[in-house]
Amino acid sequence: MTALLQHPGYEEERLQRVAEQLPCREVQAGLLLSLMGQPQQYSYPSIFIYGHRASGKSHVMHVLLKELELPHATVSCVECVSVALLFEQVLLSFFGCDAASLLPRSPSLSDFVRIYKQQCSQSPAKQTRYIVMEKAELLRDTDANLLPALLRLQELVEDNITVILLSEIAWDKFRPNTGCFEPLLLHFPDYSKGELQQILSQDRHPSYSAELYSSYINILLGVFYSVCRDLRELRHLAALNFSKFCEPLAEGKVKETDTHKLWRNIEPHLKKAMQTVYLREVSSLQWEQMQQMEEKETGALRGLSAHTHVELPYYSKFLLIAAYLASYNPARTDKRFFLKHHGKIRKTNFLKKNEKTSNHLLGPKPFPLDRLLAIFYSVVDSRVAPTASIFSQISSLVTLQLLTQVSHDDQLDAPKYKCAVSMDFICAISRTVNFDIVKYLYDFL
Amino acid sequence: TPRHATPSIPSRSLPARQPANVLEEARTRLHVSSVPESLPCREQEFQDIYSFVESKIIDGTGGCMYISGVPGTGKTATVHEVMRCLQHAADVDEIPPFHFIEINGMKMTDPHQAYVQILQKLTGQKATADHAAALLEKRFSNAAPRKESTVLLVDELDLLWTRKQNVMYNLFDWPTRRHARLVVLTIANTMDLPERIMINRVASRLGLTRMSFQPYSFKQLQQIITSRLNKVKAFEEDALQLVSRKVAALSGDARRCLDICRRATEICEHSSADPSATGLVGMSHVMEALNEMFSSAYITAIKCASLQEQLFLRAVIAEFRRLGLEEATFQQVFVQHQALCRVEGLQPISVSEGLAVCQRLGACRLLLLEPSRLGVLQRIRLNVSQDDVLYALKAD
Repeated sequence: MTALLQHPGYEEERLQRVAEQLPCREVQAGLLLSLMGQPQQYSYPSIFIYGHRASGKSHVMHVLLKELELPHATVSCVECVSVALLFEQVLLSFFGCDAASLLPRSPSLSDFVRIYKQQCSQSPAKQTRYIVMEKAELLRDTDANLLPALLRLQELVEDNITVILLSEIAWDKFRPNTGCFEPLLLHFPDYSKGELQQILSQDRHPSYSAELYSSYINILLGVFYSVCRDLRELRHLAALNFSKFCEPLAEGKVKETDTHKLWRNIEPHLKKAMQTVYLREVSSLQWEQMQQMEEKETGALRGLSAHTHVELPYYSKFLLIAAYLASYNPARTDKRFFLKHHGKIRKTNFLKKNEKTSNHLLGPKPFPLDRLLAIFYSVVDSRVAPTASIFSQISSLVTLQLLTQVSHDDQLDAPKYKCAVSMDFICAISRTVNFDIVKYLYDFL
Repeated sequence: TPRHATPSIPSRSLPARQPANVLEEARTRLHVSSVPESLPCREQEFQDIYSFVESKIIDGTGGCMYISGVPGTGKTATVHEVMRCLQHAADVDEIPPFHFIEINGMKMTDPHQAYVQILQKLTGQKATADHAAALLEKRFSNAAPRKESTVLLVDELDLLWTRKQNVMYNLFDWPTRRHARLVVLTIANTMDLPERIMINRVASRLGLTRMSFQPYSFKQLQQIITSRLNKVKAFEEDALQLVSRKVAALSGDARRCLDICRRATEICEHSSADPSATGLVGMSHVMEALNEMFSSAYITAIKCASLQEQLFLRAVIAEFRRLGLEEATFQQVFVQHQALCRVEGLQPISVSEGLAVCQRLGACRLLLLEPSRLGVLQRIRLNVSQDDVLYALKAD
């Protein structure tokens, strides 16, 4: 396998070490090595590497540049909120702090190129310099000239430099409208199931055998592979649940060879993990604590999404209910629901063709303030005066993001709102005030 | 900051070569920057401006004049000629001496820089824009016993426009002062500029002394070239006539005309290798130069595009026909493109390659595209007419 990583100009043992650190990425690493050529040779001006999350893009670049001791600057575009930071980081890692301090306060691209050239003439490159830009998709939001300039930086600074862009987005969505120098495109494919198994099996527990750990990984992948192929996520889950897997072994109930019993023990546990810890409903710490407290059933702990209960004032609850009804019921049906003498109308009679689809599928509709208040007065049993506090409660519901104001044209005159809460939430609210909201919803008639 | 921030043309170490043959001689004479001995076909305008400025200088009063005309009709050249003549007249004591100052709106980073430049050219003082305005205000409104008249030429007037129009207002207000002795000549391209962009109090101060330079007719253009050549026999008569007729029909721009003539001499020089050439610039050379200058680059670009690019343009037009609109999304066009590929017997290309083709066409402005991050949903429009595309695609 290591035979792939052979390249003149680099020491054999270093390449060996690189190959050890890059399992299942020999092809890509070999391709990159051949693109980079020998250290003193000129490489291609820019290389664009794309692939899904956790497909080893940064890792491969990092290991290659680190182990082969090539001069490089790794820049994360998330951190560089302004181009000044980007330039500073590049100069810092190539030429030291003196060069970085030469940059003016808000440097332009030409400042950077000038200082780079100046420094470069003092210490010319003996080896290819590499700039690795992580999360390169953010470069599209910076100045329009930055990405095209980076792509042909070799030409601009007249130095042996290669820019490597790493991204999860394909190059088609990067290309500036005015055209640019096309980089070399390199794709990192996803890890297959076998490769994931191979990589995950590497970090085995020292006190157990390798076969046991790889059979555990096999079970884990059997449960999670259909929903998750992210290596980092899987590794996290593997680390979290391994202690549970080993429990029967530690208690001496089962032998290591008895995989079926181990599987019977761990499988429901993993399925529960998918619903809780994988969705971050329960934090990893809570999950570990739960595994230790054996008597408490896992999953009995209420997750994050169970905490949807909000304490609201009495009228605010009714206002929210009224807003929900106004958002999800067609205005034509208001008379039928909220007036006392409306006459008997069957639902089939006023079904319009376009209203056959459920409003709950289409999402909330905007409604004017008048309609909200009309519904509010009809659902509240007692007489309520339209005081300032009622209106201020509406606006505070907006600030709590339970309602949203659509059309920002006018604050005072006939504002329109939308209700932004879910069905479960409004049901819980209406239960507290003994209001049967389902009876009033057009969709559930 | 860099020491040599202002770019400049490197200075010439050897003197310019003397023209060696007739064609080179013609080329130097036809160059736009070579000042002609006289300006033919602008005698009337010259006379009007001359008498206007001369009368103001002799009377010691001020005034404004607005000169308009399309580019290349000799506005700036005529005013400079007038100033040269007046300077000469002042030197021989026919008229009282005067200052001549010239500012150009295009050469300023900010309209308020006009004050700074005027002050510097008048007195050599340097000041900030506000201070310069105050100094000029004082200079033009106070009486001074031995003050000379000032003639101010403002080229590219439209670039001095500001929101409050105070620069223009001051420029036109100073001549109306009693002791100003300032004559302002303004030059711009459009005739109705005062009505369009100036507010009333500025336009009224500019006054009604206006002059518009008409585009040259073909006879005038011919006369200009012959007077420039001045007995250097380099052109055939018919060739000159063709150039002047073509240019007069399109724009009447004398600079354009000179450019084409110079290019034609170059072409003639290249083709002088074959023995049949007479050494004169003939009809064929001029035709070639005209084609180079006037033909559309788009059609050539389409003709030289790659097979897939041409196919993509075909697909764009097919999709427009199908939709009956002048706009389509990439995915709609791409479906057509795939179908066309199959019809032509080519391997259908992938979406990425299709996007690359599309964006290459967009980068050379044959297509108008939305930002590339919209992917296959970006909308496509043609930047050239459909007929041009069809003509270019059919020609081969």
